[in-house]
Amino acid sequence: MEASLVDYHVADAWDEIVDTDGSIRPAYREVVDSLRSMRGEDLRGRAEQLARTFTERGVTYAYGGVERPFPLDPVPRIIEAAEWAQLSAGVIQRVRALECFLNDAYTEGVVFNEGIIPRRLITSSPEFNRAAVGITPPNGVRIQVAGIDVIRDERGGLRVLEDNVRIPSGVSYVMENRRAMTRTLSGLFSGRSVLPVDLYPQRLLNALKQAAPVGVHDPVIAVLTPGVHNAAYFEHSLLARRMGIELVEGRDLVCHSNKLYMRTTSGEARVDVIYRRVDDGFLDPLHGNPSSLIGVAGLFNAARAGNVTIANAVGNGIADDKLMYTYVPDLIRFFLDEEPILDNVETHRLEDRDVLIEVAADIGNYVIKPVDGAGGAGIVIGPQADDETLAATREAIIAAPRRFIAQRVVAISTHPTLIEGNLAPRHIDLRPFCVNDGNSVWVLPGGLTRVALPEGALVVNSSQGGGSKDTWVIADHGPGDSAISTPTPWRAVPETVRQDGPSSLNRSDQQ
Amino acid sequence: MSTFFSGGWRLHIVHDTGFVYDGLAHGSYNEARLTPASLPTQAVLSTEVRAVPGAERWSYTDYWGTKVTTFQIDSPHESLRVTGESTVETSSARTPQGNLSCTALLDEAVVDRFYEYLAPTPRTLLPEEVRDAYAIPLLSDDPHASAAAVSERVRSLLTYAPGTTEVQTSAQEALDRGVGVCQDFSHLSIALLRSIGIPTRYVSGYLHPHEEAKVGETARGESHAWIEYYAGSWNALDPTSGAAVGARHVVVARGRDYADVTPLSGIYHGAPASGLGVTVAITRLR
Repeated sequence: MEASLVDYHVADAWDEIVDTDGSIRPAYREVVDSLRSMRGEDLRGRAEQLARTFTERGVTYAYGGVERPFPLDPVPRIIEAAEWAQLSAGVIQRVRALECFLNDAYTEGVVFNEGIIPRRLITSSPEFNRAAVGITPPNGVRIQVAGIDVIRDERGGLRVLEDNVRIPSGVSYVMENRRAMTRTLSGLFSGRSVLPVDLYPQRLLNALKQAAPVGVHDPVIAVLTPGVHNAAYFEHSLLARRMGIELVEGRDLVCHSNKLYMRTTSGEARVDVIYRRVDDGFLDPLHGNPSSLIGVAGLFNAARAGNVTIANAVGNGIADDKLMYTYVPDLIRFFLDEEPILDNVETHRLEDRDVLIEVAADIGNYVIKPVDGAGGAGIVIGPQADDETLAATREAIIAAPRRFIAQRVVAISTHPTLIEGNLAPRHIDLRPFCVNDGNSVWVLPGGLTRVALPEGALVVNSSQGGGSKDTWVIADHGPGDSAISTPTPWRAVPETVRQDGPSSLNRSDQQ
Repeated sequence: MSTFFSGGWRLHIVHDTGFVYDGLAHGSYNEARLTPASLPTQAVLSTEVRAVPGAERWSYTDYWGTKVTTFQIDSPHESLRVTGESTVETSSARTPQGNLSCTALLDEAVVDRFYEYLAPTPRTLLPEEVRDAYAIPLLSDDPHASAAAVSERVRSLLTYAPGTTEVQTSAQEALDRGVGVCQDFSHLSIALLRSIGIPTRYVSGYLHPHEEAKVGETARGESHAWIEYYAGSWNALDPTSGAAVGARHVVVARGRDYADVTPLSGIYHGAPASGLGVTVAITRLR
């Protein structure tokens, strides 16, 4: 029995399945029993079958310029009801606080005036989109979709690693992973009540409907993709298909009189809500990259006029900024008057001269991250970096301390993963997906567990050659069924910072 | 006949700008910043932005407080002419306002509030040695004196020469060439003042060319640029002429540098464009 946990050596991180004394954690006992009953070659065969399923369905990711199946590991990640309840409450709290922050930052700026966080944090951020000032989301929601990345530290505690409220991707893998697993390894599921993940498109569609411009009751909604060459094109097309709405590119769209239209075979049709998977800078060539061919000129002003809703909202990147991340606990206390449910990873702000000196002197013992890096790009793990990289990184943080943060090196948790036919510990994280429809924030039970496939690698990201695991949230059949996240009432826009009317764009005159 | 502000003028301005294409253009979408600002020191009596070919126009106020007129021309056209026409009452030059010292301006609260007017932009970035050579020696603890000295130094560093620089030219490039127009004088002054910790912003607008302008006589004016620095209050300074900013100056837009106040920007499909040339006709009415 090769594919067993007999020779499995727990690394110096918390292992999700094997306790330090070698015993199997309770949540995993049944799955481990099922895996034990399989022969090694059988498990390997199933793994190959999973990969084939993905290639056939086009679930691929461009890595290093090559399209390849996004590797799905056959050993699922399991989260029990009680822990999920706490985790989802924590990410919901975060999304609520970030909504309040974004609304405030683009309107009154009370959080700055009160001295909770420095105004400079946004005015020095390239993600602060001044063209978004005056674009008011009709139902107050700027974060229709959030992906809050969570890791488990050495002591088993869950911590937030980063917030993604611009264009978080990966939810298609969650749905496809489950689909492939139930077809290929259905035996693993027997006797377990695993919460379904296929409600996501319905929830997203509802959130997009709720975001429609004032007075529009049956909105036309479209998914805007950069096109087939985008790494996440599969996801864009899957979501459009599953929501039953059009998938469009910039060239399919046009604005007239501050209204958005898509070109169809039967002429131009109004679009009320656009679920965009195009970055801010490319959405409207008038307010970003002027040579962008994947956006549509006039989109921002159509949104400003209240005739179309852009979801997620323009300018959300100031909340993703990793320097802002260090202030999220303060935002939770200020806007929600609550204590953070989930902790951050211990992070150092390098604009403080003393901190910068300390980190620069001991750079090999920190993780250095660019504040605006996406997809794991630019992250330097001190203990794993060579001298040359460390020297260059030291120079970079001294030259531009605002552009980086330093974190303690966390040995994020490991999970047994099938590597060349054997189960070996690999580091994992989790991206739960949240959908905000303006009434409540809903968390998809499960989320994307990403695996860093190279041994010892700590950067867990699909764009860094990672894989993923099907992620199970086990239903709690106790009273109240706490595993299904209870809708949390969500204050759409704090009373004090509400703007008048849906728009500040007025028709000045007409010829 | 009097004006709102004692010592102020009533000015009528017609600002023409646009593009001519080497063929046809279509699908043109534009934003114009040609509307004078309503300010405690400046009253706008009438204002209009129009385009030829005609188009439906909309407007909004941008982040910097400037009124932006937007218009879209879908049908094919050979040229685009945009005209901003306004009647404005100005006020006479004010004595310097604000009594913060340069040391007080370095306070974290001031830096945080005015960070956008302290951080260099691509057009106002200067190496430390330039700051050390030209700005530091002029620094006194009085921001008014420092600003006046920097403005004077800029006039000694640059020779006014129309047509020598473009809208993309940075302060550093103008300094290297030793020549420039009002935009370059302003960018260099902004760069130097920011480098010594004085919040400074770019102002675009109009200047009546004659100090003793006759009522009713139309002069060929110019699209002008100058600066405002903060010393507890904002104060205007015209580093190109060295003259006091007063009745002859009309404020249109403010921002970090030229990029935030671009008078006409847009995108279109079709043949390459060349500038139609900018003319500003300015008439003193009172």
